[in-house]
Amino acid sequence: MRWFGFGFNAFGQIRVRGRATSAASGDVAAEVKVIGPTEVTGHEGRSGRRLKTCRIKASWSRRASLHLNGDSCVCLAGFGAATSDESCGVSVVVSRGCTDASIGELHLTLVFPDRIESWDLQKKEETPSWSMELEPQSESSGPPLNLPLVTGGYIATKPPFYRSLSPHLKAKSLALGAEHAILLCATGAVYTWGLGSHGQLGHGGLTSEEEPRAVEALWGMTMSSVATGGWHSVCISDGGDLYVWGWNESGQLGLPSRGLRKALQQQSSQQAAGAACQVADSSPGEEVFISIQAFPALLDVAPSCEIRTVSCGSRHTAAVTTTGDLYTWGWGEYGQLGHQKLISSDEPKCVEFFREQQLHVVDVTCGTWNTFAAVIAEEVASS
Amino acid sequence: MKTCSSMATLWSKISDVLPPGEEQFPLQFSDTVESSLVDVLKRSRRQLYGDAASSSSRAIDAQIILDFSWEKLNTGTWRHVDKEWRRVYAYGCLFKVAALCREGPSADNVPQAVRTCDMGLLMGAAIMDNILQVIVGILQGEVRKSSKEEDDKTEQVEVKRLKIECPRAPVIRGELAVPRVKCPSLESFNTNHLLPLKPVILEGIIDHWPALNGHRWSIEYLRSVAGCRTVPVEVGSRYTDEEWSQTLLTVDEFIDRYILNEDGVTGLGYLAQHQLFDQIPELKEDIRLPDYCCLGEEDEDDITVNAWFGPGGTVSPLHHDPQQNFLAQVVGSKYIRLYSPEDTDKLYPHQSQLLHNTSQVEAENPDTERFPDFAAAPYLECVLRPGDVLFIPVRHWHYVRSLELSFSVSFWWS
Repeated sequence: MRWFGFGFNAFGQIRVRGRATSAASGDVAAEVKVIGPTEVTGHEGRSGRRLKTCRIKASWSRRASLHLNGDSCVCLAGFGAATSDESCGVSVVVSRGCTDASIGELHLTLVFPDRIESWDLQKKEETPSWSMELEPQSESSGPPLNLPLVTGGYIATKPPFYRSLSPHLKAKSLALGAEHAILLCATGAVYTWGLGSHGQLGHGGLTSEEEPRAVEALWGMTMSSVATGGWHSVCISDGGDLYVWGWNESGQLGLPSRGLRKALQQQSSQQAAGAACQVADSSPGEEVFISIQAFPALLDVAPSCEIRTVSCGSRHTAAVTTTGDLYTWGWGEYGQLGHQKLISSDEPKCVEFFREQQLHVVDVTCGTWNTFAAVIAEEVASS
Repeated sequence: MKTCSSMATLWSKISDVLPPGEEQFPLQFSDTVESSLVDVLKRSRRQLYGDAASSSSRAIDAQIILDFSWEKLNTGTWRHVDKEWRRVYAYGCLFKVAALCREGPSADNVPQAVRTCDMGLLMGAAIMDNILQVIVGILQGEVRKSSKEEDDKTEQVEVKRLKIECPRAPVIRGELAVPRVKCPSLESFNTNHLLPLKPVILEGIIDHWPALNGHRWSIEYLRSVAGCRTVPVEVGSRYTDEEWSQTLLTVDEFIDRYILNEDGVTGLGYLAQHQLFDQIPELKEDIRLPDYCCLGEEDEDDITVNAWFGPGGTVSPLHHDPQQNFLAQVVGSKYIRLYSPEDTDKLYPHQSQLLHNTSQVEAENPDTERFPDFAAAPYLECVLRPGDVLFIPVRHWHYVRSLELSFSVSFWWS
């Protein structure tokens, strides 16, 4: 499995910035904004062999590569990490033996079989800033939980780190937005809570919820996966359908966005400045724009295809189909859509690079302003 | 088209108001601001005083700061956003303005820089002795220089067109009319109106404002003072409508689109409830705080002064505010209706928390079936004309409709 990244790279979190090129180079834009998929080179293990990255987690300024096979550890790239990709700081040592990890702007959370640790990324400390012992998960309690879920609750991005969840919810997976959360239960039901100002809870209103509340509009459908951006939420049904709700400011829901069309018009009129040009409204018809979608809406990502995996950045969304294509939409000004340009889109568009290279996308994970995709060669996928 | 040399002088004017060196340029933030972003802020500062960086590198770093803080400003409710993020946003604007003005030979950068300063003034917090306010003053001087050469024929056409509008003033029945007093003493205003919370129109108390005399607020004057400045505009008939929205326009764009209807835009635009006078101090010189505000308990600085500028037909639905209000009419006329807080039960306030201070009833066209008690609520009414100041006591319900092109100034005080 190989990983590719694109989008925000101001800290070298996708492609380590060469010392020689960064200062004097005229093409700073290309350094900061990686507009097309670029392979993320693996880190070297103790033996000198390249480590295999199982998973990537990304915050705004960093990327955490999780190596969970055998000699398990987490390597960081981006802000504060060494410029060479050979070493990746203290995290390697302290993360040895971890089974899961997540990263925020302030903390690196590591899960070990018997404990959880939270390391303050802004201070160079010898010990974790917070830790908690874990009761061993019993065999009968189902498949192992992924962060932010842990036995009995979840790990938040700011203190108090551990927050409990009612066992009645039978939490299966959880995604945390800027100020809201979306939870998938073992039954396939979806619960949301937190800030509702942009419709991100999906209950039809803009009010906030203190406690987990079932998204009633999805009742009767079994969901298999949930994800969240800054102000939007998405989930995949058992049948591979994608549901979206929340703020559509940059087209992150894949629905017509007035704000986005306006911004694109302004850009094109700025580029044409000087010439007395009239910006024609490209769609004079009665197009219905969506600013806030307060109930889940079914999104047709591509004709007759099923969605396997989905992930959200602060204002963009990326989804992998069962046929191995990657589609992206939403905010694109840092290249996070991977379409070889810096343009936002309120329609899902296929990242052509992977098709052209005959690479089969199997996983995707978004950082705040960037995107990482895992691929395998197409022959392998079909065999 | 401007020459490079005049842009160079513009940059020297701006650098004159910046701290002389990197060491004197403050960048202090609380722990709220992540060290990764502080790193970008520091790099921007270094670029401001060094020559190594390219202009695109400066612009990108400024944009990163703006995009990051914009997301923070939109996280949670506005009131709860940490002020640090409003400061960071203002720094982003400052760095962007510097990037635009430093070596860009194009005159298009200047209006963009003005807009950037305004965004910082509207959404940011004051930094470095309100340096954005100082810089926008410099930039405006630049814009005015270049617009002086323009033909003023168009302005004359505008003046003619504005006179076509004719007010449809409702007839005010004597017994319902808001009483009028000419220049009452502080004492008599206090006893007869403020203490018993009785609405009144004060006459003759703003006749000395430059806005009504020397600097009469005409369209041309507003254009010359504020034309290139960006302001928030309400679009749609009333703020209770589904279709209502807010947008940012320059004063020139607002006038062209919603006052003169040049692009054939249908729908109403209203520059409403905006603290324009903090943004454009030159306009503040044209008005004065009413003396009667000193009867309040607050400091003068705590008085909120808002501008209300729009075409005929703008409507503020029946609502009340948590402070005393002096509504001063400078240009045009407005029809206003007032209901006492004692009659709130007949006014059908909205149930939602957001609109609980607003009535569901269209005051001039009530749905008597849905709101049967409304007709029984007694009210006062008036047509406010230039020079009139209406005292709206705290929590008094008011409905306002402009009868023609109108500019009012409200003073909220306690």
